[in-house]
Amino acid sequence: MENKNPLSPHIQIYKWHISSLVSISHRITGIINIIAITLVCIWASFLILGDTNYSFINLFLNSFLGKFIAIGLAWSFSFQILSEIRHLIMDMGYGFELQTTRITGLVVIFGSVLLTILTYLIGKNFI
Amino acid sequence: MVQINLPENSQVKKGKYFKDKTGSTNLRKVNVYRWDPSTGENPRIDTYEVDMDNCPSKVLDILNKIKNEIDPTVAYRRSCAHGVCGSCAMNMGGKNGLACTTSHSEIDGDIDIYPLPHLKVKRDLIGDLDGLYKQYQSIEPWLKNNTKSKTAEIFQSKEDRAKLDGAYECIMCACCSTSCPSYWWNGDKYLGPAVLLQAYRWIIDSRDDERKARLKKVADELKLYRCHTILNCTSACPKGLNPAKAIAEIKKMLATANV
Repeated sequence: MENKNPLSPHIQIYKWHISSLVSISHRITGIINIIAITLVCIWASFLILGDTNYSFINLFLNSFLGKFIAIGLAWSFSFQILSEIRHLIMDMGYGFELQTTRITGLVVIFGSVLLTILTYLIGKNFI
Repeated sequence: MVQINLPENSQVKKGKYFKDKTGSTNLRKVNVYRWDPSTGENPRIDTYEVDMDNCPSKVLDILNKIKNEIDPTVAYRRSCAHGVCGSCAMNMGGKNGLACTTSHSEIDGDIDIYPLPHLKVKRDLIGDLDGLYKQYQSIEPWLKNNTKSKTAEIFQSKEDRAKLDGAYECIMCACCSTSCPSYWWNGDKYLGPAVLLQAYRWIIDSRDDERKARLKKVADELKLYRCHTILNCTSACPKGLNPAKAIAEIKKMLATANV
Protein backbone atom coordinates (compact mmCIF):
# COMPACT_ATOMS: atom_id res chain seq x y z
CA MET A 1 0.00 0.00 0.00
CA GLU A 2 1.24 3.44 -0.86
CA ASN A 3 2.09 5.59 2.12
CA LYS A 4 -0.13 8.69 1.85
CA ASN A 5 1.33 10.40 4.92
CA PRO A 6 2.84 13.84 4.34
CA LEU A 7 6.56 14.30 3.73
CA SER A 8 8.31 16.35 6.39
CA PRO A 9 9.85 19.64 5.16
CA HIS A 10 13.49 19.33 4.12
CA ILE A 11 15.40 21.88 2.00
CA GLN A 12 12.76 24.51 2.88
CA ILE A 13 13.76 24.49 6.54
CA TYR A 14 17.31 23.18 6.71
CA LYS A 15 19.90 25.75 7.71
CA TRP A 16 22.73 26.44 5.27
CA HIS A 17 26.32 26.40 6.40
CA ILE A 18 29.60 27.01 4.62
CA SER A 19 30.23 23.43 3.49
CA SER A 20 26.77 22.93 2.03
CA LEU A 21 26.97 26.31 0.25
CA VAL A 22 30.37 25.47 -1.25
CA SER A 23 29.09 22.06 -2.29
CA ILE A 24 26.01 23.36 -4.13
CA SER A 25 28.02 26.20 -5.71
CA HIS A 26 30.56 23.63 -6.88
CA ARG A 27 27.81 21.84 -8.80
CA ILE A 28 26.30 25.03 -10.23
CA THR A 29 29.65 26.43 -11.36
CA GLY A 30 30.47 23.00 -12.83
CA ILE A 31 27.38 23.16 -15.05
CA ILE A 32 28.09 26.80 -15.98
CA ASN A 33 31.66 25.90 -16.90
CA ILE A 34 30.60 23.06 -19.18
CA ILE A 35 28.21 25.40 -21.02
CA ALA A 36 30.95 28.09 -21.16
CA ILE A 37 33.52 25.71 -22.63
CA THR A 38 31.01 24.57 -25.25
CA LEU A 39 30.29 28.18 -26.21
CA VAL A 40 34.03 28.99 -26.43
CA CYS A 41 34.46 25.98 -28.74
CA ILE A 42 31.59 27.18 -30.94
CA TRP A 43 33.12 30.67 -30.92
CA ALA A 44 36.50 29.23 -31.98
CA SER A 45 34.96 27.24 -34.81
CA PHE A 46 33.15 30.38 -36.03
CA LEU A 47 36.58 31.93 -36.66
CA ILE A 48 37.09 29.51 -39.54
CA LEU A 49 34.11 31.08 -41.28
CA GLY A 50 35.66 34.53 -41.50
CA ASP A 51 36.42 37.74 -39.71
CA THR A 52 32.88 39.17 -39.64
CA ASN A 53 31.97 36.54 -37.05
CA TYR A 54 35.03 37.46 -35.03
CA SER A 55 34.21 41.13 -34.95
CA PHE A 56 30.61 40.38 -33.98
CA ILE A 57 31.69 38.34 -30.94
CA ASN A 58 34.41 40.90 -30.17
CA LEU A 59 31.73 43.59 -30.12
CA PHE A 60 29.53 41.47 -27.87
CA LEU A 61 32.29 40.71 -25.37
CA ASN A 62 33.15 44.42 -25.13
CA SER A 63 29.58 45.33 -24.28
CA PHE A 64 28.47 45.61 -20.65
CA LEU A 65 26.70 42.24 -20.75
CA GLY A 66 29.72 40.63 -22.42
CA LYS A 67 32.09 41.96 -19.78
CA PHE A 68 29.73 40.81 -17.04
CA ILE A 69 29.65 37.31 -18.51
CA ALA A 70 33.45 37.22 -18.94
CA ILE A 71 34.10 38.27 -15.34
CA GLY A 72 31.38 35.92 -14.14
CA LEU A 73 33.08 33.04 -15.92
CA ALA A 74 36.44 34.02 -14.43
CA TRP A 75 34.80 33.70 -11.02
CA SER A 76 33.06 30.43 -11.78
CA PHE A 77 36.29 28.85 -13.08
CA SER A 78 38.25 30.18 -10.06
CA PHE A 79 35.65 28.78 -7.71
CA GLN A 80 35.58 25.41 -9.44
CA ILE A 81 39.38 25.09 -9.34
CA LEU A 82 39.70 25.94 -5.63
CA SER A 83 36.71 23.83 -4.64
CA GLU A 84 38.04 20.90 -6.66
CA ILE A 85 41.36 21.13 -4.81
CA ARG A 86 39.36 21.07 -1.55
CA HIS A 87 37.55 17.96 -2.74
CA LEU A 88 40.81 16.27 -3.76
CA ILE A 89 42.23 16.86 -0.27
CA MET A 90 39.04 15.41 1.20
CA ASP A 91 39.28 12.40 -1.12
CA MET A 92 42.67 11.72 0.44
CA GLY A 93 40.89 11.63 3.79
CA TYR A 94 42.03 14.96 5.22
CA GLY A 95 40.20 18.05 6.39
CA PHE A 96 37.00 16.52 7.71
CA GLU A 97 37.06 18.18 11.13
CA LEU A 98 34.20 20.69 11.37
CA GLN A 99 36.48 23.64 12.07
CA THR A 100 38.78 22.72 9.17
CA THR A 101 35.88 22.38 6.71
CA ARG A 102 34.70 25.83 7.74
CA ILE A 103 38.12 27.34 7.14
CA THR A 104 38.73 25.59 3.80
CA GLY A 105 35.21 26.60 2.73
CA LEU A 106 35.94 30.23 3.49
CA VAL A 107 39.29 29.97 1.68
CA VAL A 108 37.41 28.72 -1.42
CA ILE A 109 34.83 31.54 -1.27
CA PHE A 110 37.24 34.42 -0.68
CA GLY A 111 39.99 32.85 -2.78
CA SER A 112 37.68 32.66 -5.79
CA VAL A 113 36.92 36.38 -5.51
CA LEU A 114 40.64 37.17 -5.20
CA LEU A 115 41.49 34.99 -8.20
CA THR A 116 38.78 36.71 -10.23
CA ILE A 117 40.21 40.16 -9.41
CA LEU A 118 43.69 38.87 -10.25
CA THR A 119 42.49 37.45 -13.57
CA TYR A 120 40.78 40.75 -14.36
CA LEU A 121 43.88 42.82 -13.55
CA ILE A 122 46.19 40.53 -15.53
CA GLY A 123 43.79 40.58 -18.48
CA LYS A 124 43.45 44.36 -18.38
CA ASN A 125 47.12 45.28 -17.92
CA PHE A 126 49.15 42.59 -19.67
CA ILE A 127 47.06 41.15 -22.48
CA MET B 1 14.89 12.43 -8.13
CA VAL B 2 15.47 15.98 -6.95
CA GLN B 3 12.15 17.32 -5.70
CA ILE B 4 12.51 20.80 -4.25
CA ASN B 5 8.85 21.49 -3.48
CA LEU B 6 6.78 19.51 -1.04
CA PRO B 7 3.90 17.46 -2.47
CA GLU B 8 0.38 18.91 -2.29
CA ASN B 9 -0.64 16.97 0.83
CA SER B 10 2.53 18.00 2.69
CA GLN B 11 2.27 21.79 2.30
CA VAL B 12 2.42 23.29 5.77
CA LYS B 13 -0.50 25.53 6.78
CA LYS B 14 -0.79 28.03 9.60
CA GLY B 15 -2.24 26.45 12.71
CA LYS B 16 -3.53 27.47 16.11
CA TYR B 17 -2.05 30.11 18.38
CA PHE B 18 -1.79 29.32 22.08
CA LYS B 19 -1.56 32.56 24.05
CA ASP B 20 0.33 32.59 27.33
CA LYS B 21 -1.87 32.17 30.41
CA THR B 22 0.75 32.50 33.13
CA GLY B 23 1.24 36.24 32.75
CA SER B 24 5.00 35.81 32.53
CA THR B 25 7.13 38.58 31.03
CA ASN B 26 9.80 36.21 29.76
CA LEU B 27 8.04 34.57 26.84
CA ARG B 28 9.31 32.78 23.76
CA LYS B 29 7.33 31.74 20.73
CA VAL B 30 7.68 28.08 19.85
CA ASN B 31 6.46 26.91 16.42
CA VAL B 32 5.74 23.20 16.31
CA TYR B 33 4.97 21.09 13.23
CA ARG B 34 1.68 19.26 13.74
CA TRP B 35 -0.02 16.57 11.71
CA ASP B 36 -2.92 14.46 12.84
CA PRO B 37 -3.40 11.26 10.80
CA SER B 38 -7.06 10.99 11.78
CA THR B 39 -8.25 14.24 10.16
CA GLY B 40 -6.88 13.97 6.63
CA GLU B 41 -5.90 17.65 6.74
CA ASN B 42 -2.55 19.10 5.73
CA PRO B 43 0.20 19.55 8.32
CA ARG B 44 0.12 22.84 10.20
CA ILE B 45 2.37 24.95 12.42
CA ASP B 46 0.99 25.58 15.91
CA THR B 47 2.51 28.45 17.86
CA TYR B 48 2.89 28.32 21.62
CA GLU B 49 3.91 31.14 23.95
CA VAL B 50 6.11 29.50 26.56
CA ASP B 51 7.05 30.97 29.93
CA MET B 52 10.84 30.71 29.96
CA ASP B 53 11.21 31.67 33.62
CA ASN B 54 9.99 28.24 34.64
CA CYS B 55 11.57 26.14 31.93
CA PRO B 56 14.84 24.17 32.11
CA SER B 57 17.53 24.64 29.49
CA LYS B 58 16.86 22.11 26.71
CA VAL B 59 14.44 22.05 23.80
CA LEU B 60 12.98 18.79 25.13
CA ASP B 61 12.08 20.64 28.34
CA ILE B 62 10.08 23.11 26.26
CA LEU B 63 8.22 20.27 24.54
CA ASN B 64 7.51 18.58 27.86
CA LYS B 65 6.27 21.88 29.23
CA ILE B 66 3.96 22.36 26.24
CA LYS B 67 2.65 18.80 26.55
CA ASN B 68 2.17 18.97 30.30
CA GLU B 69 0.86 22.48 30.69
CA ILE B 70 -0.48 23.83 27.41
CA ASP B 71 -1.47 21.21 24.83
CA PRO B 72 -1.41 17.49 25.73
CA THR B 73 -2.04 16.44 22.11
CA VAL B 74 1.54 17.13 20.93
CA ALA B 75 3.24 13.85 19.99
CA TYR B 76 6.99 13.28 19.96
CA ARG B 77 9.39 10.47 20.79
CA ARG B 78 11.54 10.74 23.89
CA SER B 79 13.02 8.40 26.38
CA CYS B 80 16.35 8.78 28.16
CA ALA B 81 16.58 12.60 28.12
CA HIS B 82 20.38 12.67 28.21
CA GLY B 83 21.56 11.96 24.68
CA VAL B 84 21.98 8.19 24.85
CA CYS B 85 18.87 6.64 23.29
CA GLY B 86 18.47 8.86 20.21
CA SER B 87 14.65 8.92 20.39
CA CYS B 88 14.13 12.67 20.45
CA ALA B 89 16.00 13.41 17.20
CA MET B 90 14.26 16.29 15.42
CA ASN B 91 14.90 19.48 13.49
CA MET B 92 15.27 22.53 15.73
CA GLY B 93 16.09 25.99 14.45
CA GLY B 94 16.83 24.48 11.02
CA LYS B 95 19.34 21.95 12.27
CA ASN B 96 18.96 18.32 13.23
CA GLY B 97 19.84 17.26 16.75
CA LEU B 98 18.60 15.63 19.90
CA ALA B 99 16.00 17.75 21.70
CA CYS B 100 17.40 16.58 25.04
CA THR B 101 20.94 17.85 24.37
CA THR B 102 20.15 21.01 22.37
CA SER B 103 19.90 24.15 24.49
CA HIS B 104 17.14 26.52 23.48
CA SER B 105 19.51 29.41 24.15
CA GLU B 106 21.49 28.27 21.05
CA ILE B 107 18.51 29.14 18.86
CA ASP B 108 17.93 32.79 17.93
CA GLY B 109 14.43 34.22 17.66
CA ASP B 110 11.39 31.99 17.59
CA ILE B 111 12.06 28.31 18.12
CA ASP B 112 10.99 26.27 15.09
CA ILE B 113 10.57 22.55 15.73
CA TYR B 114 10.03 20.13 12.84
CA PRO B 115 10.30 16.37 12.50
CA LEU B 116 13.49 14.98 10.93
CA PRO B 117 13.54 16.19 7.30
CA HIS B 118 12.24 14.26 4.29
CA LEU B 119 10.54 11.44 6.15
CA LYS B 120 6.98 10.22 5.96
CA VAL B 121 5.36 11.70 9.05
CA LYS B 122 3.49 9.33 11.35
CA ARG B 123 2.17 12.04 13.61
CA ASP B 124 3.40 15.51 14.67
CA LEU B 125 7.16 15.24 15.27
CA ILE B 126 7.37 11.49 14.67
CA GLY B 127 8.93 10.46 11.36
CA ASP B 128 8.92 7.01 9.79
CA LEU B 129 12.43 5.51 9.92
CA ASP B 130 11.59 2.06 8.53
CA GLY B 131 13.60 2.63 5.35
CA LEU B 132 16.70 3.50 7.34
CA TYR B 133 16.36 0.44 9.58
CA LYS B 134 15.98 -1.82 6.52
CA GLN B 135 19.18 -0.34 5.08
CA TYR B 136 20.90 -0.87 8.41
CA GLN B 137 19.86 -4.50 8.32
CA SER B 138 21.21 -4.82 4.76
CA ILE B 139 24.79 -4.15 5.86
CA GLU B 140 24.54 -7.03 8.34
CA PRO B 141 25.71 -5.17 11.43
CA TRP B 142 27.02 -8.10 13.43
CA LEU B 143 30.35 -9.84 13.84
CA LYS B 144 31.13 -12.47 11.24
CA ASN B 145 33.96 -14.68 12.30
CA ASN B 146 34.96 -17.99 10.77
CA THR B 147 36.62 -19.53 13.82
CA LYS B 148 35.18 -22.91 14.66
CA SER B 149 35.49 -22.56 18.40
CA LYS B 150 32.41 -21.18 20.03
CA THR B 151 34.00 -20.61 23.43
CA ALA B 152 37.43 -19.11 22.74
CA GLU B 153 37.80 -15.35 23.13
CA ILE B 154 38.68 -13.41 19.96
CA PHE B 155 41.58 -11.15 20.87
CA GLN B 156 41.94 -7.59 19.63
CA SER B 157 44.98 -5.37 20.12
CA LYS B 158 44.61 -1.96 21.71
CA GLU B 159 45.53 -0.32 18.38
CA ASP B 160 42.86 -2.26 16.51
CA ARG B 161 40.32 -1.44 19.18
CA ALA B 162 41.21 2.26 18.90
CA LYS B 163 40.18 2.17 15.22
CA LEU B 164 36.57 1.69 16.33
CA ASP B 165 36.56 4.92 18.31
CA GLY B 166 34.33 7.44 16.59
CA ALA B 167 32.27 4.68 14.98
CA TYR B 168 30.92 2.49 17.77
CA GLU B 169 29.43 5.44 19.70
CA CYS B 170 26.72 5.97 17.08
CA ILE B 171 23.23 5.72 18.59
CA MET B 172 21.37 5.51 15.25
CA CYS B 173 19.28 8.60 15.94
CA ALA B 174 19.21 9.38 12.18
CA CYS B 175 20.10 13.06 12.61
CA CYS B 176 22.88 12.69 10.03
CA SER B 177 21.07 10.68 7.38
CA THR B 178 18.01 12.93 7.42
CA SER B 179 20.19 16.06 7.17
CA CYS B 180 21.82 14.83 3.95
CA PRO B 181 20.45 16.29 0.68
CA SER B 182 21.79 13.26 -1.20
CA TYR B 183 19.79 11.04 1.13
CA TRP B 184 16.70 13.21 0.59
CA TRP B 185 16.82 12.77 -3.18
CA ASN B 186 18.10 9.17 -3.29
CA GLY B 187 17.12 7.73 0.07
CA ASP B 188 15.77 4.58 -1.52
CA LYS B 189 19.17 3.60 -2.90
CA TYR B 190 21.87 5.65 -1.18
CA LEU B 191 22.63 4.13 2.23
CA GLY B 192 23.18 7.49 3.91
CA PRO B 193 25.77 8.57 6.49
CA ALA B 194 24.38 6.67 9.52
CA VAL B 195 24.35 3.28 7.80
CA LEU B 196 27.67 3.88 6.03
CA LEU B 197 29.32 4.81 9.33
CA GLN B 198 28.12 1.47 10.68
CA ALA B 199 29.28 -0.32 7.52
CA TYR B 200 32.70 1.25 8.13
CA ARG B 201 32.61 0.17 11.78
CA TRP B 202 32.32 -3.49 10.72
CA ILE B 203 34.77 -3.17 7.82
CA ILE B 204 37.58 -1.96 10.08
CA ASP B 205 36.87 -4.34 12.96
CA SER B 206 39.94 -6.58 13.17
CA ARG B 207 37.85 -9.46 14.54
CA ASP B 208 35.62 -9.57 11.48
CA ASP B 209 36.57 -12.01 8.70
CA GLU B 210 34.20 -10.71 6.02
CA ARG B 211 36.00 -7.44 5.28
CA LYS B 212 36.30 -8.04 1.53
CA ALA B 213 32.70 -9.11 1.14
CA ARG B 214 31.52 -6.11 3.16
CA LEU B 215 33.55 -3.69 1.04
CA LYS B 216 32.32 -5.29 -2.17
CA LYS B 217 28.77 -4.90 -0.96
CA VAL B 218 28.92 -1.14 -0.39
CA ALA B 219 31.06 -0.47 -3.49
CA ASP B 220 28.15 0.73 -5.53
CA GLU B 221 27.54 3.93 -7.47
CA LEU B 222 24.32 4.64 -5.59
CA LYS B 223 24.86 2.99 -2.23
CA LEU B 224 28.16 4.75 -1.49
CA TYR B 225 29.22 7.29 -4.09
CA ARG B 226 26.19 9.55 -3.70
CA CYS B 227 28.14 11.19 -0.89
CA HIS B 228 29.33 14.54 -2.25
CA THR B 229 30.91 15.76 1.01
CA ILE B 230 28.19 18.30 1.75
CA LEU B 231 29.04 17.66 5.43
CA ASN B 232 25.54 18.27 6.78
CA CYS B 233 25.94 14.90 8.51
CA THR B 234 29.05 15.77 10.48
CA SER B 235 27.69 19.16 11.51
CA ALA B 236 24.40 17.55 12.64
CA CYS B 237 25.77 14.60 14.64
CA PRO B 238 24.79 15.11 18.30
CA LYS B 239 27.51 12.71 19.42
CA GLY B 240 30.27 14.64 17.62
CA LEU B 241 31.08 11.76 15.26
CA ASN B 242 32.25 12.17 11.68
CA PRO B 243 30.25 10.07 9.20
CA ALA B 244 31.65 12.05 6.24
CA LYS B 245 35.18 11.01 7.15
CA ALA B 246 34.12 7.36 7.53
CA ILE B 247 32.57 7.44 4.07
CA ALA B 248 35.76 9.01 2.68
CA GLU B 249 37.78 6.21 4.32
CA ILE B 250 35.59 3.55 2.66
CA LYS B 251 36.03 5.30 -0.69
CA LYS B 252 39.79 5.43 -0.08
CA MET B 253 39.99 1.72 0.74
CA LEU B 254 38.18 0.94 -2.49
CA ALA B 255 40.26 3.38 -4.57
CA THR B 256 43.58 2.11 -3.28
CA ALA B 257 42.46 -1.49 -3.94
CA ASN B 258 43.22 -2.15 -0.31
CA VAL B 259 40.38 -4.64 -0.31
